[in-house]
Amino acid sequence: MATAPYNYSYIFKYIIIGDMGVGKSCLLHQFTEKKFMADCPHTIGVEFGTRIIEVSGQKIKLQIWDTAGQERFRAVTRSYYRGAAGALMVYDITRRSTYNHLSSWLTDARNLTNPNTVIILIGNKADLDAQRDVTYEEAKQFAEENGLLFLEASAKTGENVEDAFLEAAKKIYQNIQDGSLDLNAAESGVQHKPSAPQGGRLTSEPQPQREGCGC
Amino acid sequence: MAEGSGEVVALPASGAANGLSNGAGGTSAQPNNPLSRKLHKILETRLDNDKEMLEALKALSTFFVENSLRTRRNLRGDIERRSLAINEEFVSIFKEVKEELESINEDVQAMSSCCQDMTSRLQAAKEQTQDLIVKTTKLQTESQRLEIRAQVADAFLAKFQLTNEEMSLLRGTREGPVTEDFFKALGRVKQIHNDVKVLLRTNQQTAGLEIMEQMALLQETAYERLYRWAQSECRTLTQESCDVSPVLTQAMEALQDRPVLYKYTLDEFGTARRSTVVRGFIDALTRGGPGGTPRPIEMHSHDPLRYVGDMLAWLHQATASEKEHLEAFLKRVTAPGVEENIQEVVGHITEGVCRPLKVRIEQVILAEPGAVLLYKISNLLKFYHHTISGIVGNSATTLLTTIEEMHLLSKKIFFNSLSLHASKLMDKVELPPPDLGPSSALNQTLTLLREVLASHDSSVVPLDARQADFVQVLSCVLDPLLQMCTVSASNLGTADMATFMVNSLYMMKTTLALFEFTDRRLEMLQFQIEAHLDTLINEQASYVLTRVGLSYIYNTVQQHKPEQGCLANLPNLDSVALKAAMVQFDRYLSAPDNLLMPQLNFLLSATVKEQIVKQSTELVCRAYAEVYAAVMNPTNEYKDPEGILHRSPQQVQALLS
Repeated sequence: MATAPYNYSYIFKYIIIGDMGVGKSCLLHQFTEKKFMADCPHTIGVEFGTRIIEVSGQKIKLQIWDTAGQERFRAVTRSYYRGAAGALMVYDITRRSTYNHLSSWLTDARNLTNPNTVIILIGNKADLDAQRDVTYEEAKQFAEENGLLFLEASAKTGENVEDAFLEAAKKIYQNIQDGSLDLNAAESGVQHKPSAPQGGRLTSEPQPQREGCGC
Repeated sequence: MAEGSGEVVALPASGAANGLSNGAGGTSAQPNNPLSRKLHKILETRLDNDKEMLEALKALSTFFVENSLRTRRNLRGDIERRSLAINEEFVSIFKEVKEELESINEDVQAMSSCCQDMTSRLQAAKEQTQDLIVKTTKLQTESQRLEIRAQVADAFLAKFQLTNEEMSLLRGTREGPVTEDFFKALGRVKQIHNDVKVLLRTNQQTAGLEIMEQMALLQETAYERLYRWAQSECRTLTQESCDVSPVLTQAMEALQDRPVLYKYTLDEFGTARRSTVVRGFIDALTRGGPGGTPRPIEMHSHDPLRYVGDMLAWLHQATASEKEHLEAFLKRVTAPGVEENIQEVVGHITEGVCRPLKVRIEQVILAEPGAVLLYKISNLLKFYHHTISGIVGNSATTLLTTIEEMHLLSKKIFFNSLSLHASKLMDKVELPPPDLGPSSALNQTLTLLREVLASHDSSVVPLDARQADFVQVLSCVLDPLLQMCTVSASNLGTADMATFMVNSLYMMKTTLALFEFTDRRLEMLQFQIEAHLDTLINEQASYVLTRVGLSYIYNTVQQHKPEQGCLANLPNLDSVALKAAMVQFDRYLSAPDNLLMPQLNFLLSATVKEQIVKQSTELVCRAYAEVYAAVMNPTNEYKDPEGILHRSPQQVQALLS
C-alpha cells in the first residue's frame, strides 16, 4: 500500500542558500508541494522538507534544508552547510544585488561544505523576464568559471524547479558511481541504504516443524 | 380363376384356329347367336392389354416350337405335363422349406424353455438378493450423509483451523525470518479467534471454546516470535541511515495489538538509534567530514558561538532525521497516540547526546567569554529550544531539558557578568570629568549595553520572547548606572550636578532609543532629565537676576507686604538703586548670551540647552514684570516710575525672545 515511498536507496542532504527574498523557500515549496506559495513569510533560522525522486532507476530521498537569507541569521544558517551533498545557490534575476553577492555565498559554501558537495546556481523568478537585471549568458559564464551547474527557474510557474533539484542529484549520483564520493566517510551528506529488504528475503533452510510450546 | 385361365389358354388356340374364317363369319352376323356372341367376345378381346394372355403366349412359345397337327393335339397334354412338373418341383422345394422351418421351430422351442428356465432362476436370484439391495441402498445413503458431514467438517476446519504451513509459519524458529505470509497467517488466527464467537452462540460451545483457546495460544506464540524478530531486527538499525524494511513496519502494525510488546520494540528501536546518534555526534565533533572537510566541530571551539551553533544545528538535523525514521517505522500503526509515541522515542533517541552536549556547552559558558557572547549563546540556545521543540513537541524530553538548562545557565552567567560589571561601577565611583560629560565608566557600560541589546535585536528569538529579557537586562544595567551617576554627582554644586546628570541621562536615553521595548525606560529617563532641567532653568534665571542686581529687589518685592509700608522707603529699593539695576539689566538685554552659566556650555544636547535658555529667560521676564508692576503701583510711592523703569515688560519680552 504505502510502502513504496519508503523504499529508497539513498538519502541526499541539500541546503538552499542565497540572499533574502530570492525565493528559496518558494523553490522548496514548489518542489515538495508542487504549489506556489504567494506570500511566503521570512524564514526563521532554517526549515526543511523532503521528497523522493528517481535517478537512473534509483529512488533517492532528498532532505532539503532551507536557510534564512537574512543577514542576522547567518550565524545560525552557517552551521547547516556541514555535511550537505548538494547546495542550491539562488539569486533573483530581477535584482542584480542578489547576483553580486553570489561570490560571498560561494565562498561560504566552499569553506563550510566538503569538497565533493555539488553546487548548483539557480537564477530564480525567470517568469519575470521583463524585469530581468542579470542576463542568462552572464550567469552562465559565472557558473562555468566556478564549476557550478546552472539553471534559470521559476518557483511561481514551476519551470525548471524539478530539474534544478534533479540535476544536482544526478551529479551527486554520478560522483558516487565513479567513486569520487566516498559514502563510508562521515558527513558526506549521502546515506546509502542496502536496497535488499531484509525481512522479505526468502530462506532456503527448512524450518523445524515445531519449536516452543505446542497447543 | 383357374378355370378362367384355362379358358384363356384355350382361346388363342381356337382364335388362331378360327382366324381364317373370321371374315366370312363377320359378314353374316346374327346377334343372338351364341356363337356370334362368343365370337364377338373373342374379337373384342384386346390382346395387347391382356398381360396374362401375353405372358401365357410367351410361355407357350418357349416349348411349342413346331406347329403341327400332332403337336396341336398334344398341346393340352403337354401343358398339363409341364404344369405337373412345375408343381412337383414346387413341392420338393417347399419340402425343404418346411424342414427348415421345423428345425427353426425346434430351436425356438429350445430357446423358449431355456428362457423359461432363466426367468425362474432370475426370479429366484431376485428373491435371494432383495435383502442385499436394501442393505446396499441403506449403506449408500449412509455414505452420502457421511460425505456431506465430511465436507462440513472440512469447511469447518478450513474456517476455524490453520493449515500446517500456516502453523509452522507462526511458530517458526527463533531466528527464522518473518515474511509477508507470516502476517497473513497471523491475520487468519485473529480472524478465527473473532469468528469463533459465532460458535459460542450456537450449541457448539465446547468446540468454540477450545478453538478460541487454541487460537489465543497460537496468537501469543506468534506475537512472541514476531516480537523477538522485530527486536533483533531493530538492533541492527545502527547505520547512520536507517533502513526500515516494509516487513518491519508491518510487524509494528501487528504488534500494536500487544501494547507491551509494541512498547518494548519501540524501546529497542530507540536504543539502537540512540547509540547511532551519539556515535554520529561524536564523529561530527571530532572527525568531521571526509578528509576533514567540513572540519570537525571541535576545531571551532575557540569561537564559542560557532561551536555551540554547530553542535545545536547538527542535533537539529539529527532530530529531524530521527523523527522521519520513526515516522517510516510506525507509518502503518493506526492506534491512537502514535504522535506521542514518536515524540517520546525521539526524546529517548536524543537523550544520549545530552551529556556530551552539556559538558561542552557548560565548558563554553563557564569560561565566561564575556557578557555579549554569553547573551548571544543564551539566545542561540533559546532559538534551538524553540526549533527542536517544533520537532519533538513540548514533551519533557531530555534534550530539550538540557538545552533549557544550558539556556538558563548561560542567562544566569550573563546576568552575573552584568551584575558584576554593575557592582564594579559602584565600587569605585569616579569624579565627574571637568567637562561634566559622561564618565568613562558610563560610556563603557553603555557600549556594553548597546552591544547586548543589538545582539538581542538580531537574535533569532521570536519577538514576544524577547521583551521579558529586556526588562531584566535594563534593570540590571541601568539602575546601578543611574545610582553611580547620582553618587558621583553628589559632591558637586547644584548647577554642576544638574548638568552632569542631564548629560549622563541624555547619553543613556540616546543609547536606549535605538532599541525596541525601551519606551517605559525612556519615559522614566525623560522625567529625570526634566527634573534636572528645572533645576538648571532656575539656576540660570537666578544667575541672570543676581548678575544684573535684580535678585535682591525681586525677592524683596515678592516678600513685601502692605503693612511694611511703601517700597520706595525700603533700604536698597529706592529709585537710585533701581536705576542702577536697570543699567545692568539693559546691558543684559543687549547681549543675553553673555550671562549664560558656564555649565550650560557643557551640555551635550543643543536642544536641551536651548530649552533651558528659553525657559530661564521667561522666568527673568516674569520677575521683571513683577518688579515693574510693583514700581508702577502708586501705593509704593515711586516718583516718576517710568523714568526709573523705562522698559515695559512687553518690550523686555520682545527683546529677549
